[in-house]
Amino acid sequence: MTASNEPNPHAATSPASEGPNVPIHLRPARERDLPALVPLLLRLKRLNEEFDPLLKVRDDAEEQARVVLRANLADPKSVVLAAEGVGADKDKVVGFVRAVVRERPFYAPEFEGVILDIYLLPLYRRRAVGEFLLREVSAALKAKGAGVVTAEFPAQNEIAVRFYAKKGFRPITAIHARSL
Amino acid sequence: MGRRRSRTVRTASEKREGETDALGRRAVELSAFYQGKIETVPKVPVRSLADFALWYTPGVAEVSRAIQANPERSFDLTGRWNTVAIVTDGSRVLGLGDIGPRAALPVMEGKALLFKYLGGVDALPIPIQVSSPDQFISTVEAMAPAFGGINLEDIASPKCFGILEELQKRLSIPVWHDDQLGTAAATVAGLINALELTGRSVTAVRTVLLGAGAANLVTARLLLALGHDPHRLTLVDQRGILHAERDDVDELMLRNPWKYRIALKTNGGGRVGDLAAAVAGADVLLAASTPNPDTVRPEHVRSMAPQPIVFALANPMPEIWPDVARSAGAAVVATGRSDFPNQVNNSLVFPAVFRGILDARARAIPDEVVLVAARELARGAARKGLTAQHLLPTMEESEVFPEVAAAVGDASVRLGIARQRLTHDEFLERARTLMQRPARLVRALERAHLTPAMPRKGARNRRNPR
Repeated sequence: MTASNEPNPHAATSPASEGPNVPIHLRPARERDLPALVPLLLRLKRLNEEFDPLLKVRDDAEEQARVVLRANLADPKSVVLAAEGVGADKDKVVGFVRAVVRERPFYAPEFEGVILDIYLLPLYRRRAVGEFLLREVSAALKAKGAGVVTAEFPAQNEIAVRFYAKKGFRPITAIHARSL
Repeated sequence: MGRRRSRTVRTASEKREGETDALGRRAVELSAFYQGKIETVPKVPVRSLADFALWYTPGVAEVSRAIQANPERSFDLTGRWNTVAIVTDGSRVLGLGDIGPRAALPVMEGKALLFKYLGGVDALPIPIQVSSPDQFISTVEAMAPAFGGINLEDIASPKCFGILEELQKRLSIPVWHDDQLGTAAATVAGLINALELTGRSVTAVRTVLLGAGAANLVTARLLLALGHDPHRLTLVDQRGILHAERDDVDELMLRNPWKYRIALKTNGGGRVGDLAAAVAGADVLLAASTPNPDTVRPEHVRSMAPQPIVFALANPMPEIWPDVARSAGAAVVATGRSDFPNQVNNSLVFPAVFRGILDARARAIPDEVVLVAARELARGAARKGLTAQHLLPTMEESEVFPEVAAAVGDASVRLGIARQRLTHDEFLERARTLMQRPARLVRALERAHLTPAMPRKGARNRRNPR
C-alpha cells in the first residue's frame, strides 16, 4: 500500500491503493512528447468522427494537432499529461489527457476546468486507468484554480457518457448543431 | 513455369465456372418442376376422419391443458423437440451478398432438406423481412415457443455476432449460427487431425488466420479455448495484421467489438504488417477470406515453418489451389470443396450437433459442446486412418455422425443443460435411428411415385403433376 514506486507528480491527490494497480505512469507532457502525442490526438479525433458527420476530421488535422498541442504546452492555463507504459512499454507514451481552465463570466464557480481529450491505446483501457487519469487531471485543474470540472465529448459517445456518469458527472450544457 | 501454372489455374477455374453454370441451369429447371424442396407430411395414422377428434379438437384440448400446466411438456407432447427454425434476413447469402429474404428462401429450403436428410431434424425455412438487428432478435424470440432450436443462417457480419449472443442470452433453447459455429467447428476438427498428423500440439503452434469474418473470429475463439497461445495467433484481413494499435481499432471497438476483442487478445501475435509478415515461420494458415486462388501465394507457404498446414476454405475458389500449396511445401492441405481431399464443410457438423442437442432437449449450446463435436468428428476420421488426404470424414462416412451426435448429447448432460438425460448408448441408438430414417422415407416416396422422378435435362414447362 505504498503510494507507488513510480515518481508521480500528483501522488498526493490519489488514493495510494490505486497507484500500483494502474499499468501506467502519468507525468506532465513536454515538447519532446509531441511526435508521440500527435498521433494519439488524431486517433481520438478519428474516433469522434465515427459519432457524427459534423465531427469530420480535417485534412490538415495532423498539422493542427501539432500547433494546438504546442500552444497548450506553453499555456499556463492548460494541462497536458502524458501516460507512459510500465515494464516493456516504459518510455512509450500510451495515452494522454488534455484540459484547459476557462473563465466563466456569469457563473460561479468562476473557473471551469474543461477536459478536452482523454485517450488511451486499447491495451491500456481499463476502468481503473481511466479513473486514475480523471482523478489526476481533476487535481491538476483544481491546482490551477478550477472550482468545477467538465468534459467535452461527442453526444453519441455512450461509452464516455457512461464513464462520466459513473464518476458523478451530469450534463449541464448541451451543444446542438446543424449544417449550414 | 509461372506462365504455365497461371494458364492451368485459369483453365481449372474456367472449367469450374462452366460446371457451376450448368448446375445452376439444372437447379432452376428442377425448382420449377418440384416447386419447393420440402413439404409437411403427417406422422400419425389417420384411419378415418374420426381420428381428427384425437389429433385435433376436441381431444387436443387436453394436450394443450397439459402443456399449459407444465410448459416443458411441449417437448414431449408435440414435435417441438425435433423442430428447428432456419432464420435469415437474407443479408449475406452464400457468395451472393445482401439479396433479401425472398431470394434467400431457396437456400433455406435446401438447408431444411439437409437438416432432415442428414440429421433427421424437421427444419422450417423462415426468411424474415426486418430492418434492424433488434427487430430480428424480437421476431425470433417471439417464434421460439414452436421450436426446440434455432439455426441462424446467412446473416451479415458483424451483426450476426450480436444477434447470436443476444438470442442465446434470451432463449432457453439452443441458438446456432452455422456460418460462425458450423464452419469453425469443422475447421477445428480438421486442424486437430492436421496437428496430430504432423506431430504438433495446439498449445505450441503459431497460427495465422486469414480473414476475420464470422467463421474465423469464432475459430480464433475456439482455438484459444483449446489452449492456443493468444500471442502466437495472428489474424489478417484486407488491412493487414489485426493488432491492438492498428489505425482502425477504435472504429472496430464501436462497429465490431468481437473483432476488437480478438485484436486486443492476440495483438497480432506480436507482429504488424501484411500477410507475408504474418505467415513467415508460422505452422498453420487457416484462410477463410476471398475466393481468389492468388490470395495466398506459393512464397507465403514456402516461408512457413517445416511441414506447414494450409487450409484454404474460400468457396467456390480456394485462396490457393491445393496442388500449388503442396508444391510449395504444404504437408497438409484442406479446402471447402468436395472435389479435393479434406473438405471442411458445415454439413459435417450441423446435422449431428442438432441431432445431439435436440435429443438432449438442451437449453443452450455453449462452446464446450461445439468443441466436443469438433473433437469427435476428428476422432471419427482418425478411426478410419489418418493421412494427409483424410483429415476429416467425408459425407459418405455416415457412421461417424451418430457418434458426434451422441458425444454432443453426453456433453449436454455433463454440462447440466439437458432437459432429457439419456445414456451414451441411448443417445447413439436414437441418433442412428433418426438419422437413417429420412433416407428410407425419401426412397419409399420415390418408389411409390409420390415423389415424381427427376425430369430429363432441358424438359420445358413441365410441372410436378402433384
